[in-house]
Amino acid sequence: MSLNPATLARVQFAFTVSFHIIFPTMSIGLAMFLAVVEGLWLKTKDAIYLQIYRFWLSIFAMGFGVGVVTGLVLSFEFGLGFARFAQLAGPAIGPLIALEVLTSFFLEAGFLGIMLFGMHRVGPKLHYLATCMVALGTLLSASWILAANSWMQTPDGVVVKDGRLVVTNWWHVINNPSWLFRLPHMLTAAYLTASFLVAGVGAWYLLRGEHLAFAKKSVALGTAFATILIAGQVFIGDILYGTMLKHQPSKMQAAEGFWEKQSPSPAPYYWIIVPDQKRQRNRFAFGIPYLGSIWLTHSLRGSVDGLKNTPPDRQPTMGMVFYGFRIMYGIAILMFAVATASLWLRWKRCLFTNRWFLRCLVVMTPSGIVATLGGWYLAETGRQPWVIFGLLKTIDAVSPVPAQTLLATLIAFVCIYAFFMAAFLFFVLRTIRRGPGLSPSHAEASGSLKNALRPQVLDSANANAVLGS
Amino acid sequence: MILPMISACFTALSVTLYVLLDGFDLGVGALLLLQPHERSRDHMVDSITPTWDGNETWLIMTGVTLLAAFPIAYGILMPALYLPIIVMLLALGLRGVSFEFRVQAIQYRRKWDLVFALGSIVAAFMQGLILGDLLQGISVEGITFNGSVLDCFRPFPLLCAVCVLAGYVVLGASWLKFKATDQLRKFAERTLRVALPLFLAAFIAVGWFSFAVQPGIFVAWQAHTVVLATLSGIMIVAAFVIFAGINKRPDARPFAASLAMVAAGIVGLAVLVFPDIVPFRVSLWDASASRLSQIFVLTGAAFVSPVVLGYSFFAYWVFRGKTPQKGWDG
Repeated sequence: MSLNPATLARVQFAFTVSFHIIFPTMSIGLAMFLAVVEGLWLKTKDAIYLQIYRFWLSIFAMGFGVGVVTGLVLSFEFGLGFARFAQLAGPAIGPLIALEVLTSFFLEAGFLGIMLFGMHRVGPKLHYLATCMVALGTLLSASWILAANSWMQTPDGVVVKDGRLVVTNWWHVINNPSWLFRLPHMLTAAYLTASFLVAGVGAWYLLRGEHLAFAKKSVALGTAFATILIAGQVFIGDILYGTMLKHQPSKMQAAEGFWEKQSPSPAPYYWIIVPDQKRQRNRFAFGIPYLGSIWLTHSLRGSVDGLKNTPPDRQPTMGMVFYGFRIMYGIAILMFAVATASLWLRWKRCLFTNRWFLRCLVVMTPSGIVATLGGWYLAETGRQPWVIFGLLKTIDAVSPVPAQTLLATLIAFVCIYAFFMAAFLFFVLRTIRRGPGLSPSHAEASGSLKNALRPQVLDSANANAVLGS
Repeated sequence: MILPMISACFTALSVTLYVLLDGFDLGVGALLLLQPHERSRDHMVDSITPTWDGNETWLIMTGVTLLAAFPIAYGILMPALYLPIIVMLLALGLRGVSFEFRVQAIQYRRKWDLVFALGSIVAAFMQGLILGDLLQGISVEGITFNGSVLDCFRPFPLLCAVCVLAGYVVLGASWLKFKATDQLRKFAERTLRVALPLFLAAFIAVGWFSFAVQPGIFVAWQAHTVVLATLSGIMIVAAFVIFAGINKRPDARPFAASLAMVAAGIVGLAVLVFPDIVPFRVSLWDASASRLSQIFVLTGAAFVSPVVLGYSFFAYWVFRGKTPQKGWDG
């Protein structure tokens, strides 16, 4: 890894996009969680839901803010670092992202203000509509951006004429071979992330014996959602694995850590490897015997394809792909174990009292984020050396920007993003430490469009009367 | 042939909406630096908090429309404007997180306000550099940028940067006059009285020197003398309306006039560079994406834009009138 523009442009993109994805993952998940919780509040009129809503809304707002400003960077970064990629792929992915901005960013932005500051002005029902619109916006956003990224993974519906890309079939560009599997995979990942965040914070309060009603509801909701979601995720993940094996064999060959064209039979399931890309072998490998055959081929002695099936100039770097996959997969197994345990403890009626389980939940609080990052490293490093799989190599896509400039801006990004992260963590941890505010004594779930259309400004006394707080 | 034209119009629409809407946001942000009272600063930020995100989305829309409809231009412009764009994005980022974090911080709110103000000023300044660099002309060979990333720090772009910053302050101050009461409104009026002449002086200087640095501008003036003269006239009239309305009611008039003034300026710029998408270098037809891509974007835009404008307006409507002294949470 020398200091050349291509490497620096890649590091910069990888850093900014990895940092960014943390926040949308949380926002997508928390927006849906908030919509569910506010819906429960309107239905049951139980003030505890409003308390949960308000608590997570403040964290959602901070995460959303960081997500917006780091996402803004990406819409320009396609061209800043990878001008040739933008010029070639623009006709295909540009319209998808444009539609993302039109259908989802504006939707989120338009209703976020009302969601955050409008409770006193529009009344609970219209406010609930705003929450749902924000949640819908995050979902649409994920759909479009996953369509764009999936097109880079499994491009379809285009031809290249005189060095320019021409779209021949939009339906194939959007519904490319991997989109329909990767979208639910990412959405479920985001919802799992939110579930573990909520459950983890609740568990922390239970361990400290604080805000018990709030904490119990959080743990109950979080583990319930997590249990349903992880079961679905295992299923979706398995289908996606099969799809990628068919369309991007090189990625999955690297993901399993085998070099030889055929792995040994029975194949072990590797957990730690030290790959040597140059000599095309592992210097060290540690795995569980037989498990590879059982999991990957669903037989006792089946063998798996290794990376030598792909010519060396088209191979991804095995270490990154392998560990990205192992982090995601390892955490999925842990999530599955926690979900199973939660079912058992629910049955035994000690979900809120088993301290070991609560400690596990606290440790698992950020697990969804780490697993999602691992999954994206698998997806993106596994696509290399291509930026558009089979069409354009990353190395040929780089902008004419000198290495020193790239290095300077990379350092600026690292410093300012570190500041964002520090501030975000500081305020989120402080919000958690302070706990949910005093819960309103009673909450009245009424209100209609009329409030929004009333000419005079609601003063705070009236607004509080509407809210009953 | 017609499709790239419509796409260019849509791009122009998003640039215009961005400059007008985020223009006053950034102007208000810059003015935080001059406002010594914390209560007033809270009030200033409150006035733009519910809608800033939507305003900034027009910037993303601009970038992405370029990528979708004019990928060749996007691929030339991004490396050419590499430094000002990245600095602008980081500055907008610092300003954006300050919205959330200044509310959280009570002890360090002053520091967050400083970050907020500097972020706004730097972002505005960088946008001015981008404008100036585009007007002066960037070096292009074929479909690749072949100049230096430092070209945008030439004297003319720096002059444009001052002009854009002053223009945003005019927008921000007239917005504050529109939304604020008492002390803060007086502050806005005082600012407006200084900022407007500054902006006009900078604008005239930019106009004067633009003939020297870019021969294409002289050619464009010869070709569209009437249109450009009319637009200049609108700007002058609008400036008079602002100045005359500073101490009078209705409070909305100077804001409306500032919007008209800046909008006329942007239309004038569009007339100057038409039909180029990389000004004076690459025409919009040479840079455009294939037919089906244009149709996809434009169909989407045709259906979704009215809805977007509708609920963006609704968001402003919900938070209409004077900003409450105690903030939106009451």
